[in-house]
Amino acid sequence: MAAAKKLMSMRRDWRERDVRVVLAALIIAVATVATIALFAGQLQHTLVSSASSFLAADRQLEAENGQPVPEEWITEARERRLQTGRMVEFSTMVFGSDAFQLVSVKAVSNEYPLRGELEIQGDSEGSREQVQHGPAPGEVWINPRLLRLLDIRTGDTLEVGNRNLTVSGLLLREPDGGFSLSALAPRVMMHVDDVASTGVIQEGSRVEYVYLFAGTEAALEGYYQWLQPQLGPSHEWEGVRDGETFSRSLDRAESFLLLGGSLAVLLAAVAVAVASRQYALSQRDTVALLKTLGLGSSGIGLLYLKRLALWGVTGMVGGLLVAVPLFWLLTRLLSEALDRPVEFQLEASALTPALLTALVSLFAFAYPPIRRLKHVPAMRVLRSQPGETGREALPDMLIAIVAVFGLVWLYAGELSLVVSLLGALVLLLGALGLLGWLLVAALRKVRGGGHAWRLALVGLYRHRRASLSQIAVFAMTLMLATTLILVRTSLLDDWQAQLPDDAPNHFLINIAPDAVGDVADFWEERGQPLDQLYPMVRGRLTQLNGQPVKEVVSKDQRVGALNRELNLTWMASLPEDNNIVKGSWFEGDDKQGVSVESELASKLGLALGDELTFTIGSDKITETVTSIRTVQWDSMKPNFYMAFPPNGGLTDMPATWITSFYLPRDQKSALNEFSRRFPTVSLLEIDNIIERIQEIVRQVTQAIEAILVLILAAALVVMAAVVSATLQDRQREGALLRTLGGRQSLLVRSTMLEFALLGGFAGVLGVAAAEAAVWALQFRMFEGQFSWHWQVVLPIPVMSALVLALFGRWQLRPVLSVSPMLLLRRLE
Amino acid sequence: MPTTNPDSQRLMLRVENLSHRVSLETNTLTILKGVSLEINRGESVAIVGRSGSGKTTLLGLLAGLDTPTEGTVELDGSIISRLSEDERAKLRAHRVGFVFQSFQLLPALTALENVMLPLELAGMDAPEKRARELLERVGLGERLTHTPRQLSGGEQQRVAIARAFASDPAILFADEPTGNLDNRTGQEVSDLLMDLNKEQGTTLVMVTHDEHLAARCARQFHIEAGELTEPVAEAELAD
Ligand SMILES: Nc1ncnc2c1ncn2[C@@H]1O[C@H](COP(=O)(O)OP(=O)(O)OP(=O)(O)O)[C@@H](O)[C@H]1O
Ligand SMILES: [Mg+2]
Repeated sequence: MAAAKKLMSMRRDWRERDVRVVLAALIIAVATVATIALFAGQLQHTLVSSASSFLAADRQLEAENGQPVPEEWITEARERRLQTGRMVEFSTMVFGSDAFQLVSVKAVSNEYPLRGELEIQGDSEGSREQVQHGPAPGEVWINPRLLRLLDIRTGDTLEVGNRNLTVSGLLLREPDGGFSLSALAPRVMMHVDDVASTGVIQEGSRVEYVYLFAGTEAALEGYYQWLQPQLGPSHEWEGVRDGETFSRSLDRAESFLLLGGSLAVLLAAVAVAVASRQYALSQRDTVALLKTLGLGSSGIGLLYLKRLALWGVTGMVGGLLVAVPLFWLLTRLLSEALDRPVEFQLEASALTPALLTALVSLFAFAYPPIRRLKHVPAMRVLRSQPGETGREALPDMLIAIVAVFGLVWLYAGELSLVVSLLGALVLLLGALGLLGWLLVAALRKVRGGGHAWRLALVGLYRHRRASLSQIAVFAMTLMLATTLILVRTSLLDDWQAQLPDDAPNHFLINIAPDAVGDVADFWEERGQPLDQLYPMVRGRLTQLNGQPVKEVVSKDQRVGALNRELNLTWMASLPEDNNIVKGSWFEGDDKQGVSVESELASKLGLALGDELTFTIGSDKITETVTSIRTVQWDSMKPNFYMAFPPNGGLTDMPATWITSFYLPRDQKSALNEFSRRFPTVSLLEIDNIIERIQEIVRQVTQAIEAILVLILAAALVVMAAVVSATLQDRQREGALLRTLGGRQSLLVRSTMLEFALLGGFAGVLGVAAAEAAVWALQFRMFEGQFSWHWQVVLPIPVMSALVLALFGRWQLRPVLSVSPMLLLRRLE
Repeated sequence: MPTTNPDSQRLMLRVENLSHRVSLETNTLTILKGVSLEINRGESVAIVGRSGSGKTTLLGLLAGLDTPTEGTVELDGSIISRLSEDERAKLRAHRVGFVFQSFQLLPALTALENVMLPLELAGMDAPEKRARELLERVGLGERLTHTPRQLSGGEQQRVAIARAFASDPAILFADEPTGNLDNRTGQEVSDLLMDLNKEQGTTLVMVTHDEHLAARCARQFHIEAGELTEPVAEAELAD
């Protein structure tokens, strides 16, 4: 069947514009979805492992009661094929040549760190290197500030309890470095096997045993299930996702990637639908002829089904051929951003959504109009028949909408996403219906004439059906792209707002009340004024409305905050980044009441008026909840679950003060002087952590930009599909107008105006629908505050009007450059 | 083919009381009214009439491209309205050929492939050999690999004629085959059509405005406002 075969060959198909658009849309859809899925997986992996390195493991088990955990817990973990490691943390005095200093010791086993790496320096002039182990037995690595404080150098010995250990390196960064407020003094890191011989740890010493675990998520989860019933009140199981600073960023990045992928799916579906409908229309003559020549409708059905299958295969293969190098490029970018190698790993499972997208696009979008080709009457060869009214396409549209939203749901697993987008689309179509009605009502009165404006309006009216469907598709495309741009913008703004360049990167803790003034002066003099100072009292929440908390709150609701001492404070005014959600902040001289952080409140089921009892040392105070407020945990400022009014019950308790401030890297030497002058004040350096978080944000930003580019490419394909759909008609009209004596400049101006109007309408509608979608999404997925985005949004209709006007001008090119006669012949 | 009428040995086409109406937005339009006619095997017939009188509509109904509102068309022994869409397609593939005013060649295929296509669809042996022979016969042996765009209108129509005769049809329908051609070329094309028709013994039903061409057919049907006026036996008049 040489001729028949050739009739449905790929090479022949490729020559048809509509087929090219369908294929391009499919390829872009597969490529985008595959790239996003691959990259999201990779990013997730990288971020989690970089997040894991904050714990130096995937999970940590902390025993705060000064007792090691039973040995069988560790054996069980090993049997479950988990990697394990162990650390002991305590504070002690160490002695140098002739000075001593309170330090915070971390003694680590050989396996430490299970995740992440340490950064060390052989001596103060040596180069920095990254290692994945702690010091060997008999050696210590110390915070460089200790060199000055103790007046020693590397190679000297340091006396820790009964042992002399050799200072073999300077510790610049540890993966799990000091994110909790317990790491107070300069760090000394030693080997865990040396701890016993130092004799520092005695019965009743404050010491924390920490166990590290790493392995597959399933193994970790299984182990935790086993372990959980045996955990005591002083045991704390920590995972990266337990409200760490960056997990929020991580979740949002994931949500964003999913949103991007879903939008890519939607856009591709629209492009495939438009182009294949166009293709089906253009195939009607061929079908009529084939029928006349004796091909039955089942034969015709088969012919096009085969062709569709061929497209599907081409789209998938082509898409993957684009996706794989692109993904490779993204991993290169990622590893550059991270400054560490990132594995290039092709997960077969990540490709499933892409292939599924191709299949669904083809069968829910391309197939219905093509299926209807079977019904083209053979009579068409003799006389062109009335075309489709579009009414037959209604059930198709229904199938398509269900299919695509099913796909998005399956893909993103977020019902709220589906609902937001669907809602916005419904709004959009409603507005479009209204616009159509207005268009007909208002433009009917406009009469043609020599004026470009009038010609443009008449054009819009005359093509109102095509114009409306074009506006619909443009508006939808713009809506999807704008949604993504808006979400990206607010995401990045959010992050930037959270972590400005001068975000506090050092904490001062444990400031005695009488030293507060001197400490503030010290930094004031050096041009690094302190942020607000807060008093801090350590206490436990023990009773809720007179009942012991542990009885009232069921075990699975148990919150980390209940297990350990809380930092309680009092303050007169609400910090700027806190927000009251219920109740009201303390009035002038209120002495009663407590303000509770909202997440904790909802976990504990607290309401206004509940009575909370705190145990502070041997004292108890009871207060009623007067307000519930949100806290910006990732602000890098002191944050408190519980805030009391000044002059309230807390004021009499023994308090120390805490504050944070920003110190540029090149002024870090001031810390030595500070430590010498205020030896009892604890200093927490979190500049490394902040840098890490900023790094993560940077990676995610890059990924987001890359994906945005892909999506915009998809949007352009849709536009091209739609515009090319009416290309011939418009060219024919233009040629006719010229034949009938229309001046070129008039033709150009009216066409550009008509397209600009189309683009403008579509832009306004799309942007409005996008705002609606973002409004819905912001609540459900990104937990942000909704605000209008005029600066982002206003240029979009203008740009879309401009782009379409230029597109229209470009379409006219052949009409203007060729003689009308030739053009009419060619368009026959 | 089921034989439903004893006359079918002799008759190629039998039309009884054919009417065709289309419903428009506001009213129904009657295009054909009570048309009855018979055409013998091997006969050549012209349908003539003013523009808009319903010639094309009638041709489409006779060829089974469309089904009538009322009445029957019996083509080569089968009553068309009783056949399924696919049976009609099969009938066309094996027994019917077409030539159109606007040629209707597939632009993506070469001349040779265009002629091969119906042969392949009818599942005939050696389609390429037969297609070559026919293209040689219509004088296009040198243009086998050219696509329609590379051929003139007359040449395209000759390819279409080759295609129409390719599957050795029992009946050939032509709707103004010379309508898009100049006089000379039209003359050449109609010569070719008539000659091939004679050679192959095909029944020919042709709509035409060309009086000379109509005159070369054995009979002419005149149609006016959808009704057949008395069929005139041109051959008898000529005698
Ligand atoms: N599907 C239809 N809908 C509406 N009107 C139709 C339809 N089909 C045919 N007509 C009308 O029926 C009449 C006959 O049409 P037909 O094409 O058969 O005429 P014709 O004799 O072939 O004319 P011409 O010589 O110009 O080709 C015309 O007035 C035409 O407009
Ligand atoms: Mg006609």
